[in-house]
Amino acid sequence: MTKSLTPCQFPAPACRARRPRGSAGVPTRSRQAHGGVWLPVTALAALLISSVALYRAPFHHAAEVTVSVPYWAGLPAEQRAPIASYAFWFIGTATVFALMALWYRQRGRRTGMRVAWQRAVGTGLAALLALAVIAAVPVQLPQDVPLGTLTDRSPSAGTVLLHGLLTPLLPVALAVLVLGIVEHHRALVVAGAWVGLLAWIQCTFGILALPGALLGMRDSGARTDLLPGPLLLAMALPLLLFAAATAARSAHIGRSGRHG
Amino acid sequence: MAEDERHPSLALDEVVHQRVRLGILAVLSEASECTFPVLREELQLTDGNLSRHLRVLEEAGLLEIRKGYDRRRPCTWISLTGQGRTALHEELAALERLVRRLRRQER
Repeated sequence: MTKSLTPCQFPAPACRARRPRGSAGVPTRSRQAHGGVWLPVTALAALLISSVALYRAPFHHAAEVTVSVPYWAGLPAEQRAPIASYAFWFIGTATVFALMALWYRQRGRRTGMRVAWQRAVGTGLAALLALAVIAAVPVQLPQDVPLGTLTDRSPSAGTVLLHGLLTPLLPVALAVLVLGIVEHHRALVVAGAWVGLLAWIQCTFGILALPGALLGMRDSGARTDLLPGPLLLAMALPLLLFAAATAARSAHIGRSGRHG
Repeated sequence: MAEDERHPSLALDEVVHQRVRLGILAVLSEASECTFPVLREELQLTDGNLSRHLRVLEEAGLLEIRKGYDRRRPCTWISLTGQGRTALHEELAALERLVRRLRRQER
């Protein structure tokens, strides 16, 4: 008489333990470890969106606009109060990074696998520090021009490109980009590059003025045409979509882990 | 003999190619650090067996073992070194070359 074989000869828990993970819908530890990326990305997107409140007219054109460099609000548009913008980015970004650290430490304890989140936070903090240092360097005014005199000298190309880097949006973009690398998510790397590129172009040429700048045409004053509100939403949208997709996948993995 | 004329199997590393050790390196490549129990559970090994292979990989400089405490409980964290990551990539590249060569012969 032949003994009929069940799919697994071990008792249920042992059978589950012997089943190769990841082969039949059972989540691997690695997937669980990387499944926590949705929260830091949501927090960074929320930081971008809430910075809309720093601008005097984020969704409509103001009759008169005063813009000063560095762009402490993030984008070249009139801000409500430079000190509020400064405090928002330096305290807000540091708070989001602290939240990321707490989240990843707690997940590392729970899953037993750690993600190199320190690289993303370290890069973001270093960029923020660099911004503070560069912005603190005193500017040498031209000796031959008395203070308060208007000149028609246009800034040099180097100055324009440097101004593009003096925005607190770049540390956020860098943190997202590095987070994408350490989490092995190409979409997040692209989203970080998207935020950085939009911020840099808007702070140098202006997105709507870019084609003219590339073709060597005169500045048509289109710099302020793209308002900070829609632009910040365009920056945050890929992050929110990514966070929603990874949160849904993470919840699915959690459910299949409990049932598996 | 030119590099591309050599049989791809000659490029396989004895230390890395062993099934359990390849599994350890593969799991570790997916995260920056991993605990001993997770590695044991993922690869379905006994403590002794895992320790033996970890020692081989550590002596070859392919991974780092860090003993510490997590909420007052002793915990062992294991991570790949740069050399370990390179060794894994080279192993995978050699395996891919081997597969490509065999596929070409099948056609």
